[in-house]
Amino acid sequence: MDVTEKATFWYGCNVLRHGDIIRGCIDLLRFVGIEAVPVGGPNYCCGSIKDANPVAGDGMAKRTVERMNQKNNRRMIAWCPSCHLQMHNFMSKGYETNFEMDFLVEVLFERRELLRPWLKVPVPLRIFLHRHVGFNQLVGINRMVPELLAMIPGIEIVPDSYRAPSYMCHALGPHPTAMAAMLRHSEQTIHATSAEALVTIYHQCYRDLCGLERQGVTKVFNYIHLLARSAGIERPNEYMEWKNAGPEAEQLIGPERIGSMGGKPAFDRLIKAELLKLPIRRDQR
Amino acid sequence: MSTEANQGLLAYIESERQRILDACTQCGRCLEVCHMRPYLPLETSNETAIVGQVLAVLARAPVSPDTPETKDALTWAQGCTASGVCVAACPESVNPTMMLRIARMTAFGGLGDPKLAHKPEDGDWFPRIRAFARTQLTESEQKEWM
Repeated sequence: MDVTEKATFWYGCNVLRHGDIIRGCIDLLRFVGIEAVPVGGPNYCCGSIKDANPVAGDGMAKRTVERMNQKNNRRMIAWCPSCHLQMHNFMSKGYETNFEMDFLVEVLFERRELLRPWLKVPVPLRIFLHRHVGFNQLVGINRMVPELLAMIPGIEIVPDSYRAPSYMCHALGPHPTAMAAMLRHSEQTIHATSAEALVTIYHQCYRDLCGLERQGVTKVFNYIHLLARSAGIERPNEYMEWKNAGPEAEQLIGPERIGSMGGKPAFDRLIKAELLKLPIRRDQR
Repeated sequence: MSTEANQGLLAYIESERQRILDACTQCGRCLEVCHMRPYLPLETSNETAIVGQVLAVLARAPVSPDTPETKDALTWAQGCTASGVCVAACPESVNPTMMLRIARMTAFGGLGDPKLAHKPEDGDWFPRIRAFARTQLTESEQKEWM
């Protein structure tokens, strides 16, 4: 493949649960001619979580824009919709940037004819694409993602006009009735259309919904998983393995990695509780 | 990409606060179309009064958090999940999502105003991300990518 451009790839913070998704994005960008320079994590936080402390949010915005400017890449490609919104609505209004921002979906869509020849491996799957109403006004993801997925041999997307509130499931966390309504609709549609899997666009939704596998409702993927699989890339999806393992996840992660995060007390506090958390049960919706 | 180079977020927030206060006619359309409304425990149904209380918070006017409309205004501001449908619905290009966000920041007291609402902080937010990163990235990736 011909790499024609170097771009900063801002993957965000919370997708660090999913190394397979980050690496899948980097591979896909390379396939469309872009060498990604990945940046993310707390040192590149957008500060969108700091509504109660805008002074801290301001400092984080300044620091992150400065660091990105230092990369001297004409284009910055964002993965996370929260980061993209924060950069679009606040950070770039407060601090001058020397780059243009695009969302990853936009870049893949814009260069889809370069991506198409890589998608050779059939993925025979009838899927329910999980979509939200938000963010779509800024970037037409609800139109672009189905077109990207339709390039995969074997993928069939079931028709569905429902759009969940918000732009991601994680924002619905404090609103269990909204989350339950979304889950009810998703499960009913999956059943009615004989879909074999639910596919998310964002990692935030993937994190909140992948427990549906453990509950026996449906298989769950992120769209990057399917594009990567069709391009012949198979990486372990550890987060899903841990989620499915429940209390046994600790053995899968292993003592070395648990030691690196501060040992069992840190593991129990930071990771175990999240892995044991599942979507609202069918009988409680 | 930026408008006023390096003015900082706080100055931008203040300029947006004033722009919104100048532009909003309190028609209530933003709340009418809100996708979260069916899921929020609002006590009243008077859209214009609720929007009026959001504007009062934005204007830093004295508000009583115990009145039903003010309670609803704070519930709505905190319940906003950025669906963004209000942005297109607003006849005055106010950007009600931004209106609610700045009202929320104001109500949380982070901009120096009296605290009207509380946002619980997750002190483990960044430690959790770092812990997951240690399971997913190599040491050199952690150095280069984070």
